[in-house]
Amino acid sequence: MNRALLVMVLLVSTVSSAMETQVLPKNTFSFDFSYWRSSIDKQWNGDRKAISLIEDNRRYEPGAGLQGILRARPKAEFDFLFIQALYGITDRLTAGIYVPIVLRSQVSTNLSWEEGDFQSQLGRRYSEDDFWAWAGSLGQPRVPSKWEGGVKLSDIVLGVRYLLPEFEWMTTHHFRWATTLQVALPTGTNFDPEEAVSVGTNLWELHGAGDVEAHVSADKAFFVDEFGVNRLNIGADVFYAFFRPRQYTAGKGLKNPLLNNIAPYVGDTYTVDGGDWIAGTLSVDFAPFLGPTRASIVSGGDEKKANALPPMLTLSLSYTRVQTFQSDWQSQSPLWDYDREKNWQPGEKNIVRATATVSLLRVGLPLQVYARYQSGDLIPGRFSRPANIFSAGVRLIAKFW
Amino acid sequence: MNPRSFLSLTLAAALVACSPLNRPPTRELIELRGTPYDRGLQHGTQLKSKIRSFYTTLLTNSLFPYLSREQPDIASFLPEYANEKYQNGNFAYQLMLDSAKNIERSLGRATREELQGIADGSGLSYDQILVLNTFVDTVLAVRGVALAIRLARAPLIKSIEFVGAATDGVDNDSDGMIDEAGEGHFEPYVPEVFGTAVELSPTAAIRIVLTEVDGIEPSTVRLFLDNQLYTAGSPGLELTELSPTDLQVTLTPPQPLAMGITTTLVIGAGDKKLVELPPPARFSIMRDEEIAFTTRGAGVARRDLRRVALTDGRTRAPPVAIAVRRAMTAGGSPFIAHHFSLLDANTAYKHTVAIRHVPETGPAFVTIGWAGIVYGFAGMSERGVGYACNPSDTLDNSVVGSVLDQVADISKAKLIGKGMPIGFLGRRMLEQATDAASARDVIAAAERVYGWTCVTADATGGMEAIEVDSDIFNDGSKGNFPIASTELDLLGRRYASTSDDDFVLGSNFVKNVPDIASLNVAGQRIIPQRQWSGFFYRSRRAADGVKNRIEAARGTIDAEFLQALVGDPQFVDQSDSMNAVVLDFAKLEVRSAMGAVPATSVPFEVTEVRP
Repeated sequence: MNRALLVMVLLVSTVSSAMETQVLPKNTFSFDFSYWRSSIDKQWNGDRKAISLIEDNRRYEPGAGLQGILRARPKAEFDFLFIQALYGITDRLTAGIYVPIVLRSQVSTNLSWEEGDFQSQLGRRYSEDDFWAWAGSLGQPRVPSKWEGGVKLSDIVLGVRYLLPEFEWMTTHHFRWATTLQVALPTGTNFDPEEAVSVGTNLWELHGAGDVEAHVSADKAFFVDEFGVNRLNIGADVFYAFFRPRQYTAGKGLKNPLLNNIAPYVGDTYTVDGGDWIAGTLSVDFAPFLGPTRASIVSGGDEKKANALPPMLTLSLSYTRVQTFQSDWQSQSPLWDYDREKNWQPGEKNIVRATATVSLLRVGLPLQVYARYQSGDLIPGRFSRPANIFSAGVRLIAKFW
Repeated sequence: MNPRSFLSLTLAAALVACSPLNRPPTRELIELRGTPYDRGLQHGTQLKSKIRSFYTTLLTNSLFPYLSREQPDIASFLPEYANEKYQNGNFAYQLMLDSAKNIERSLGRATREELQGIADGSGLSYDQILVLNTFVDTVLAVRGVALAIRLARAPLIKSIEFVGAATDGVDNDSDGMIDEAGEGHFEPYVPEVFGTAVELSPTAAIRIVLTEVDGIEPSTVRLFLDNQLYTAGSPGLELTELSPTDLQVTLTPPQPLAMGITTTLVIGAGDKKLVELPPPARFSIMRDEEIAFTTRGAGVARRDLRRVALTDGRTRAPPVAIAVRRAMTAGGSPFIAHHFSLLDANTAYKHTVAIRHVPETGPAFVTIGWAGIVYGFAGMSERGVGYACNPSDTLDNSVVGSVLDQVADISKAKLIGKGMPIGFLGRRMLEQATDAASARDVIAAAERVYGWTCVTADATGGMEAIEVDSDIFNDGSKGNFPIASTELDLLGRRYASTSDDDFVLGSNFVKNVPDIASLNVAGQRIIPQRQWSGFFYRSRRAADGVKNRIEAARGTIDAEFLQALVGDPQFVDQSDSMNAVVLDFAKLEVRSAMGAVPATSVPFEVTEVRP
């Protein structure tokens, strides 16, 4: 009977923060629901300069020279719902499932036009409207200024984290280390090769995590009080992210004959072997306010145990550097491959995250709410596409037996 | 796995992943040996991906859709093209294939086998390879027909008058007479290969009458003179409607022109009828007409007038070919230099290839061209024979000829090329010719699909030039207009040379003038090149510009000079430059710049002509 009830129990303090080694106590669940708003509007070139996500499209009229240059400065925005469920198999081993759902994707193409050569048959240079009228007569519809996609599932991630046994000196010095393995299931989608504007939802296209990631993490706590709660934690995480090769269907120009007809020379399908990552994160968690405590169902009615619950407010700051390897397009046309690969050369991402977590565990509510801002363009990278993300979520801690 | 092995593997993986990204070359050098089929197979196999890419990006994605826009216009004239077979996007490919199949009859068995080899090697069909190798001449001819149809709706210059020229006490037309009746008045107006008038008063008004059945839209009138643009409302420009069809345009330059200059008046206008299809909507705009003249004090006779560069930002350089030898060059060695521009479409440059052909019999030779195409528009053989050719617009072409042949039942008439594309004739020259004269004769002996100007040269200093068309009216010329560097026209001008030891060929005819008589066929006007070709004036300007340069360098010209000359922005089409070639006959070297737009934005590379 007791097992069937939803019972809030004592939790270890590691649940509260962005600490790199946190695991759940045995038989404990954590359910996390968060909303993410992500936007991306640029990529870094090899000189760390921001350039458009899409190269300029020089349009020519046969024998009449350059019609003009079609420039797109697209901005892609995603609304995600992330659902995460973690379960403490043992006090040292936690398994989880991570379900990202794209609620909405929107791309603003921000097209502009630079006039090209004088066109004697027109008596003028092509304006943008002239160009699209011309293209329309060739069966190419005008590219919309906005594109919106609906609800789609991204790749589901499964993971396990093992809190490695500590040596004695680790315990003495409040040092912990853990290893994590996560694997993505191919539940996301590829972009539509026939659409002029389209986004995919698989991890490679979102470039948010690898298909397989192996982490080794460590935390060092400072200013630890008698209940085991620390005021400061410095964490580190290094990981390798592997991307599996993905097969894509090449466009046949069925909807956009001038823009998307590549299959005849690229082949009906092509493969993208995304460049793997080696990455490292440094994080600092600071608890400026521990908050009041009271005995509650969360602490099993024990005020002393309530004092060991996470601080009411934790501020976290982290920096992640992701070193990306060369991505490899494999089609029947090395020239076409190169035109993609040149923007996906070995490079790096620099990600800065700031998180504020409010934990209500100390006052008897098994809830944590948090807000996070992640900046990908605060520190320029190379050959990568920086996304800026705001997210907010609520985490529910539960134990059923 | 022990830690050391793991570390080694990880490092190896990282090194592979971090290996530098190399751009696939946009120019290739391949050597083909053996039978024609073997050479084709090697060509197709080695350049498989580029051939497929070139065919798709240039033809399927660019040229075919573009040509399909002409379908309504062409079908209104030739109803066969309204048939089902040409619908649903098949118009351009089917038209090209119809023409290619007809041209195929003129190709020898060896050529067909070579094309088959390319098809087998690349995985494209034989028909696709055939179209790829024949489209240039056919497209030029079809485009010529379409352009002529379109320009037939646009305003024409009825007359031009340099006001006061008939009473200014000066011989303005270099005819030996001063102020004869009508001096300085040109009616009907005929575009001049050379200059129009000389020694004009710098303050003289210029009066132009434009005519079009739908009337002239005043807002489209545009004159450009001495770096000054004049449009409706500009000071000095007066527009007077003489009739519903005629508009008189009088330009009195607000500031006198400088004395003693050569300058160009550019005239443009459109009619009053807005053409909606094919989009974009526009008035029918006449070709920019260029009137070259000198002001008083220039001291240049009409025969010696050379056009000056235009700076109105509306013109691009045409293909140009140059041959020099003996007194013109530093060591007397012969050279041909060529900058070919026509149709890059942001893709041709990625598919360039220098091919060294080593046949089982006959000389080895090098062509400068594109993947999947068996020829180039310039090349040289091991025998030291080389050529370069430029397109020269003409309605005296085999496609128009095919319509005339079918004019009795125009409802069934089709646009079909006939004869040899110039590129195949280039190949034949390299395979068969033993000197410049016999190379020229290879061209002269064949039927041609379209109009071309070609220069040939050999290692002994032989140098020939020829203009060709399809001679559809059998006028006795057989469409052959050989030019000698020493040859003078009726006014005593060299046709295409500054001396006995050079040729400068643009993309227009200088001897084959007029190339065709004006007439109407099934309601369509057929007119000479100089009245409709978009290449005409820019070709004249470029040729004159090159003449000035080689004249100034007489006796010092070498390969480096020629490389710089054909790379000079004045002679480079920044959008459609395709390749630049210098043939060094003494060294049996083909120097070529290609693989970028413009082609001369990358260094020249040397290909030896040897077995």
